[in-house]
Amino acid sequence: MTITRRNFLKWSGIGALGTVVFAGCGIPEEELLVQSPATMPEDMVTGLEAWYATSCAQCNNGEGIIVRIIEGRAIKIEGNPDHPVSKGKTSVRSQAGLQVLYNPDRLTGPMKRTGNRGLGEFEPITWDEALAEVLPKLTGTKSVAMITDPVSGSLGRVIKEFVDRNGTRHMALESMEQTVLTRTVRDMFGQEVMPVFDISNADYVLNFGADFLSTWLSPVQYSRAYGEFRQGHGHRGTLVHIEPRMSMTAANADKWHYVTPGTEGLVALSIAYVLVKDFAQDIDQETLSLMTGGGGVSALASYAPESTVDATGLTPEVIENIAHELTKSEHSLVIGGGAAAAHINGLFNMRAIYSLNLLLGNIGKKGGIRFNPEPADFGIDKRDAVATFQDWKTLRDDLSSGKTDTLLIHGANPAYTLESINFTDGAKNAKTIISFSSFLDESSALADIILPDHTYLESWGDHDPDPGPGYQTVTFQQPVVFPFNQDVGRGTRSFGDVLLDLDSKLGNSPSYSNMKEAVRARATKLYDQNRGSVQSGNFEAFWISVLQRGGWWDEKSSGPNEGPTKPITSAEMAAEYDVPNTTAEYPFHLIPFESNSITDGRGANQPWLQAAPDPLSTATWETWVEINAKKADELGIKEGDEVEIASSTGFINALAYPNPASSPEVLSVPTGLGHKHYGNFEIGPDMFRSLVGKGRGSNVMAIINPVQDKDTGALAWSDTKVNIKKTGKWIRLPKFEGVVPPQYEEGLFPIVKPEH
Amino acid sequence: MVIEVIERQTRKWQMVVDVDKCTGCQACVIACQVENNVALNSDEIFRQRRATEWIRIERYWEGEFPNVKARFLPVLCQQCGNAPCEPVCPVFATYHNDQGLNVQVYNRCVGTRYCQNNCPYHVRFFNFWEPVWPESLRNHLNPDVTVRSRGVMEKCTFCVQRIRRGELDADREGRQLKDGDIQPACAQACPTDALVFGDISDSNSRVSGFAENKRKFHLREELGTDTNVIYLAKVDAEAKDRSHA
Repeated sequence: MTITRRNFLKWSGIGALGTVVFAGCGIPEEELLVQSPATMPEDMVTGLEAWYATSCAQCNNGEGIIVRIIEGRAIKIEGNPDHPVSKGKTSVRSQAGLQVLYNPDRLTGPMKRTGNRGLGEFEPITWDEALAEVLPKLTGTKSVAMITDPVSGSLGRVIKEFVDRNGTRHMALESMEQTVLTRTVRDMFGQEVMPVFDISNADYVLNFGADFLSTWLSPVQYSRAYGEFRQGHGHRGTLVHIEPRMSMTAANADKWHYVTPGTEGLVALSIAYVLVKDFAQDIDQETLSLMTGGGGVSALASYAPESTVDATGLTPEVIENIAHELTKSEHSLVIGGGAAAAHINGLFNMRAIYSLNLLLGNIGKKGGIRFNPEPADFGIDKRDAVATFQDWKTLRDDLSSGKTDTLLIHGANPAYTLESINFTDGAKNAKTIISFSSFLDESSALADIILPDHTYLESWGDHDPDPGPGYQTVTFQQPVVFPFNQDVGRGTRSFGDVLLDLDSKLGNSPSYSNMKEAVRARATKLYDQNRGSVQSGNFEAFWISVLQRGGWWDEKSSGPNEGPTKPITSAEMAAEYDVPNTTAEYPFHLIPFESNSITDGRGANQPWLQAAPDPLSTATWETWVEINAKKADELGIKEGDEVEIASSTGFINALAYPNPASSPEVLSVPTGLGHKHYGNFEIGPDMFRSLVGKGRGSNVMAIINPVQDKDTGALAWSDTKVNIKKTGKWIRLPKFEGVVPPQYEEGLFPIVKPEH
Repeated sequence: MVIEVIERQTRKWQMVVDVDKCTGCQACVIACQVENNVALNSDEIFRQRRATEWIRIERYWEGEFPNVKARFLPVLCQQCGNAPCEPVCPVFATYHNDQGLNVQVYNRCVGTRYCQNNCPYHVRFFNFWEPVWPESLRNHLNPDVTVRSRGVMEKCTFCVQRIRRGELDADREGRQLKDGDIQPACAQACPTDALVFGDISDSNSRVSGFAENKRKFHLREELGTDTNVIYLAKVDAEAKDRSHA
């Protein structure tokens, strides 16, 4: 007998008796396994879905995505399976992109400031009124600075044209500054763009501080490579990670070594010493003589593992083992970045670390470092306009003194990111601030006029992923839905379109009348090349195809096989090396880390990202501080205790999260919260609703000491020392851990040893 | 025109979770919530320990600094062949379909929570509140998936809406499903390819390729739940001797 809905209702009529029969007599098992009639009928017609390819802007690396559209609404974002950077995969951040598009907090049209600067009081105005207000403000200015996030592709080209013609200074803001890495790649390898770190084909990866599985450079690309590195080939690769904090990448390494913050370069040189001393026949002789000035191993003698152990904390056995494994592996790879570069010694550290690749002959090799080609025609590298911390300090002073009187801000939030140097105080003196932000954030709150941009799912563009996949790749971005805000006379407009419009209204004649034209111009350039993934005898067919595929790439193009070999020299090594020290007043190293979900803060208005547990702490929605569990015991700090973390620059409050993986010398705090304006809407069941972003948590970048890398002027964001004290308040840390009991008892998690 | 009717093959869906590839990145967790209209987990919901994550990443600490490891384990409904949640439901809201899926019928559920109580994997979630979204965020709700109301249980479905859509598309095109045609949201998102989904009765499918893997294990195998999620163990040269695996 089958249980149909009708039968079932009959039984329900019998009432309690039915239940008794069920429990008492026992129903034969097959009756409980019967198919329900509630499955969808076979003749059902499903709603029509359409998928459009475009580019993800959540992480700024031109990852190709496809968006599922049903009845004009964006329903789901997936990776573009054709695209060489994403290959069908996505990060947690790409997934949440729909909450940018449909964010309740989006500005519905231009706004004009009514209250004092920074209060965030605005009145809605029309585009005509707004542009009429803006134009006179752009003429007769002393000096205009345009602040954006790092931009590539056609928007980069449009901005470049605008700033060149109008004498505007363009400064791109990188919130976790990568200048040191960019400089290292340029100086040592002669490359303007990031190389390919061929993790997938490596046997042994030694990584200094680069959290490449979470947020570093191109995490989706690296995660895919990591999957192959682990189980994709005949044998499993080994990942050794050296960092002061157990980051997500460190947690996935075969071995994580704690290193005293800022001494990563010493570790690298110790490894170099052992390589030169014990494996001289295996290393690149040219690099060796350049590094040692012909002096051989004695030139490195001061970096013998026995001499560096006190500073770094890594024992000679560990150093020797790493050196041994590096030479034993056919495909070894050394990566450095993140906290290792964010020190007063940043450039020294990075040069020492990447010199290991030169010594080991890893350049241009499978499983090593391969160089990317320059962007394809009409491309702009997004790092070209990146400003250093020194530049930002100068801009703040120029604003204070009135030397720079006008700011145009798009895609960046300097008032939040540069809180440690009180950028806001400088900006308040500006005569005019025009923001192109889609949201009211700390920077647009300072603006006189806000001209809100479309979101990336509503606008045209193209991007040059950097790092690319090893060949020229252009990701195309097209509107996948109509603009969400289309009020008559108001609504949002694409930043590029507005910029071109303003430019022509200023009496200039820009090369394009709108962004779509600019993107088509790029496509024309690629079409003329007659190479790569899309080729056609007809431009319109080419254009359609490029949009359908989400981009254009030429697998046959490649970067140079080798570059100049410029390792760290003995002269550099002779210079004084400042080991960052804690003091009695500030006994902890502060390691800020980029949140896996809300990154530098731009995700803080997306409930999905706020609610995505941190991989290590499983914490959500709050700013927490990771502290060693034993140390916390000593200090009488337990989970959820609100603590004050103070540096010589300032203090923030955070909730304590003691854990067994933190070093007793380190406190680490995620970035991204502590917004004064961003994410100003409520979610949650009716009886307890709470604001998504505004007023939640703290901005750790606000207490970073304004210390800079000696050589590049980059912000040494990992070089701050702090102390910690309880405020006396306790707030339950919202975290996933504990929502359900774990599947395994302590020590019973299934693990196997590798096969040899 | 003659339309040839293709008889569907019998399917048994399984998922393989390679723990050695999982980095704990949470892409699957959010991909699932986007696809399946899971109610937004606010801070207070986390504080009350009532967060809903159809797939979750469990994180295990091992040891203490400096010899410390973190382990990640993705856990979703195991789609048990012999499911402890099914016989306890007084209203047949949870049943077993012919493709090996453990299915929840929302409009039958009366919220006794017996199934949640009996599930050893803790993958069933109760809607304590009516789910609410700010007006504009309702635009991204997936029309293929029911929004569950207050008082009913919900859980991972192996994205049954994608399975059904894939089957219907294949029928319409007059062909059988190919391996890889159907991917649940979590497996599609997973950037390291740690999650693989497919038909175990198709001997050429990717999941079948893992059937003899030496690292294979099931969660709480001792309970005899005959799960359809297969795990491949983490590899670590420093692993200590363990009673499992």
